[in-house]
Amino acid sequence: MGVPYEQVDIAGDVGLKIRGKTLVDLFKNAAKGLFDMTTDINRVMVNEDRQTTIEAENIEDLLIRWLNDLIFTFDSEGFIAKELDLDINQSAEKLTLRASLHGEIFDPERHESRLLIKAATYHKLSITRRDDLWEATVVFDI
Amino acid sequence: MKGLKRIDNARLEVPKGYKEGMNTNGIIYVDEVLEKGLEEKSIEQVANVATLPGIVGSSLAMPDIHAGYGFSIGGVAAFDIRGGIISPGGVGYDINCGVRLLRTNLTLAEISGRLKELVDGMFRNVPTGVGSKGSLRLSQEDHRKVLIRGARWAVEHGYGSQEDLEHTESHGCLEGADPDVISKKAYERGRAQLGTLGSGNHFVEIQVVDEVYDETIANRLGLFKDQITVMIHTGSRGFGHQVCTDFIEIMQRAANKYGIRLPDRELACAPFDSREARDYFAAMSAAANYAWANRQIIMHWVKETFLKTLNISPKDAGISLVYDVAHNIAKVEEHIVNGKKMKLIVHRKGATRAFPPGHPELPDSYRDIGQPVIIPGDMGRASFVLIGTQKGMDEAFGSTCHGAGRVLSRHQAIKQAKGRAIWKEMEEQGIIVRAMGRGTLAEEMPEAYKDVSNVVEVVHNAGLSKKVAKLRPLGVIKG
Repeated sequence: MGVPYEQVDIAGDVGLKIRGKTLVDLFKNAAKGLFDMTTDINRVMVNEDRQTTIEAENIEDLLIRWLNDLIFTFDSEGFIAKELDLDINQSAEKLTLRASLHGEIFDPERHESRLLIKAATYHKLSITRRDDLWEATVVFDI
Repeated sequence: MKGLKRIDNARLEVPKGYKEGMNTNGIIYVDEVLEKGLEEKSIEQVANVATLPGIVGSSLAMPDIHAGYGFSIGGVAAFDIRGGIISPGGVGYDINCGVRLLRTNLTLAEISGRLKELVDGMFRNVPTGVGSKGSLRLSQEDHRKVLIRGARWAVEHGYGSQEDLEHTESHGCLEGADPDVISKKAYERGRAQLGTLGSGNHFVEIQVVDEVYDETIANRLGLFKDQITVMIHTGSRGFGHQVCTDFIEIMQRAANKYGIRLPDRELACAPFDSREARDYFAAMSAAANYAWANRQIIMHWVKETFLKTLNISPKDAGISLVYDVAHNIAKVEEHIVNGKKMKLIVHRKGATRAFPPGHPELPDSYRDIGQPVIIPGDMGRASFVLIGTQKGMDEAFGSTCHGAGRVLSRHQAIKQAKGRAIWKEMEEQGIIVRAMGRGTLAEEMPEAYKDVSNVVEVVHNAGLSKKVAKLRPLGVIKG
């Protein structure tokens, strides 16, 4: 499958190439990739939980909203997830993502400061599925 | 460059037929040297903007052009308020990212032995970097007031003086900000971030006036050779980023609703007279006001740091605001187009307003000389002070460049900095740097940027604004 996520240069912007065997894996790996851009997640402990629900009409919107929701949670209260449980429900008219995030509040004294991410953008966004592999590219404004 | 036509030494035309659906041409301000660095994506973005409804004049780009989201960075586009659109992509995620320049009575000789102390003091007093929180916690009531009153709120709460407001673009406050159109998420992001610098290319920098090009104007701005100045570069922080994120979604639905064909989703927009546009403009104005309050508060802490560290009186320090400019904003302005007065919504994304002498929006103290323009460079070379011109008003809706523009991507920069101690290299050049983030100095090292002098040379030669003074960095704090 290749690595679950990697940071890539996309015409000078910071992007994330994300892979997953299922849509759920793809969304989990996107979250991990995002937090890995923010700090060293190996040094994050699990002592708090957060729940979130995201809805969208299509996968592209769902992915951008999911990442922007995580950016919001970090930027407003400093919450970083190390582990997460995630589930995506597909009905005729919408997709619903429900996630439980397990992690802790960022502490600049203990945690490494990497990039301050402003937003996940629709710039050059792509999501593809080939056989058993989902692959997405997202560009972030930093 | 293929498909482009050179108009003169400073301008390249993107002809109307460059891309299907263009309503007007594009004009990119680059000389032959900067033309070599033009990316195809950014030219396409200039062309894409020309397809949007109600565009007036050309789709413009300043010499620090590089590819952005939707609109290019360095883009200037004006739309008729009747029949034209407004787009969050034409403003950017960091609403009212901008720069302010402080003057002092101090000279290089007076502080050169105290530089380290000053930089360390600022690093302690101005919260910077990932996950940093300010010492202010806004109550909901105060938060709303910040959004309505901007820098005025800061001055009313003891952060600065009335004179600071006069020397701030739009007096540090856009009318029409509406706290009721702001999402709960934006309020939550903004609550603890007022009075914080952020990260990336944001900074506070102690500088020295290295060269004066126009003595008369420099004198009027209170600037002289070998004088110490301080530059502050930051914006509306997470509050503005959330406003942009919220409205990119709203505007995508709106574009669809109003039948606007978008060549790129990040160009999402709505007719200026629609409800969605009114809400965005009111929210953007609120974020712009948050940014002005932010820079005003940081200025106050910088001032305090100087007084305390050097143990001098406010009078002796003589710290005051030269000017504060926004370089990511959309504003309603009056311009003469083909001899006709028009009300336009002018988007400047990585571009600076540069109004000419005599413009009614300028403060009394500068009305006869034109608007000061502050152009930050990288942390190793230079920054500039320019002044607005009539030609810039006539040709580019009173606009000029905003900075250097990246030449290396962040990854390329990190790669090139591997094994090097950038802080040490800078210190050997006599520049003290402090940064919170491990990768920040590598990403922000001087060679990651174009030489801002080349960019400034183009706008000066094109007459969009005139050089007044060059500032050289001495000490920098970053996120």
